[in-house]
Amino acid sequence: MADEFIKGLGLFAGAGLAWMVLAGWYRTPSFESPKQLIAAPPEPNTVFDAVGIFLNDVFFWTAILGALTFWVLIPALNQVRESSTA
Amino acid sequence: MTDDTTNTDGEPQTDGGSGPDGSEADQTVRSDGGTGIVAPDDETPTWRERKERTEGLSRLTYEYFERARSEDESLRRESDYVERDVLAFPTWPHETVRNLALTSFFVGMIIFLSATLPPHIGAPANPNSTPAIILPDWYLYWSFGLLKLGPLNPELAILGGQKLMADRTYGVLANGVIVGAITVVPFINKGSARRPVEQPFWAAVGMFGVTLAFTLSMLSVKNLMPMNVHLLFDLTFLAPPVVGAITYAVLKTMREGYMYDLNRRYYRLRPPK
Repeated sequence: MADEFIKGLGLFAGAGLAWMVLAGWYRTPSFESPKQLIAAPPEPNTVFDAVGIFLNDVFFWTAILGALTFWVLIPALNQVRESSTA
Repeated sequence: MTDDTTNTDGEPQTDGGSGPDGSEADQTVRSDGGTGIVAPDDETPTWRERKERTEGLSRLTYEYFERARSEDESLRRESDYVERDVLAFPTWPHETVRNLALTSFFVGMIIFLSATLPPHIGAPANPNSTPAIILPDWYLYWSFGLLKLGPLNPELAILGGQKLMADRTYGVLANGVIVGAITVVPFINKGSARRPVEQPFWAAVGMFGVTLAFTLSMLSVKNLMPMNVHLLFDLTFLAPPVVGAITYAVLKTMREGYMYDLNRRYYRLRPPK
């Protein structure tokens, strides 16, 4: 159980950090605006920008789905398996 | 407390240190070797307390701790370790390496964030004009939120629909009420529980306070919150009792079961000072 917890936490924190940095680059028009990290991304001018904007979403969903997988999904599956065998 | 654990006939004495005649006059403090038998401290139950635990879970718990204690004692007896008053890890290398690892992590995180997300420096502040949004430091938001309790200030019919005091006075008094409540808490519960499940009610009170601080902080920045202001105001005072009730229910549920009973035995074996 503790192993699953730290896996989920590692995914959540690591992917969340990468998401926060990329969202700070591409989805924050100003650090004084009320819409930070969630503004619409600009049209990419270079390949690097396109990759960054794409990875931004990838890291976001990695953080969400990774935590859900290890904190909810896998423990629930284990519970179901235990209850069916016992 | 480092008692001498041998009395005159050389028998190890583990019941808390009183002599055969009940006196403690022959107790001397010694911390330099000797028999190597680990000294029982104030938290060690007496033999009479141990013998009262003769059946069931209490017996099991007693055996568990007695075995752990005797194993610990025999380990120390075999070793040439000098008994000291303070047992801890040595500063070098154990503590130092661990602290260096922690320090490196946080310094690296600061460098990483300052390199990847450098905040742009805005125009210099104009001291001649008050900004549209003024806020205290974030850790005082809860107090700032208490200044915005105008809708709670009653319009008294006996005064012809007038308010007893101005809204700003009401907000300042609300600060006094909150600070007073926090001041009173240590006097009515000294906090002897070692984990929230021991005292679900007080854990619920704590969660109520934490949630109230958070929702009041959200209320203080209501013009920046992307939600209806009236809904936000209602949630500010509805969410804390709900969270407190959920905490109480969850902890009460956790009290059921074998592990909690075992932990409670452990808790009673070693009462807090």
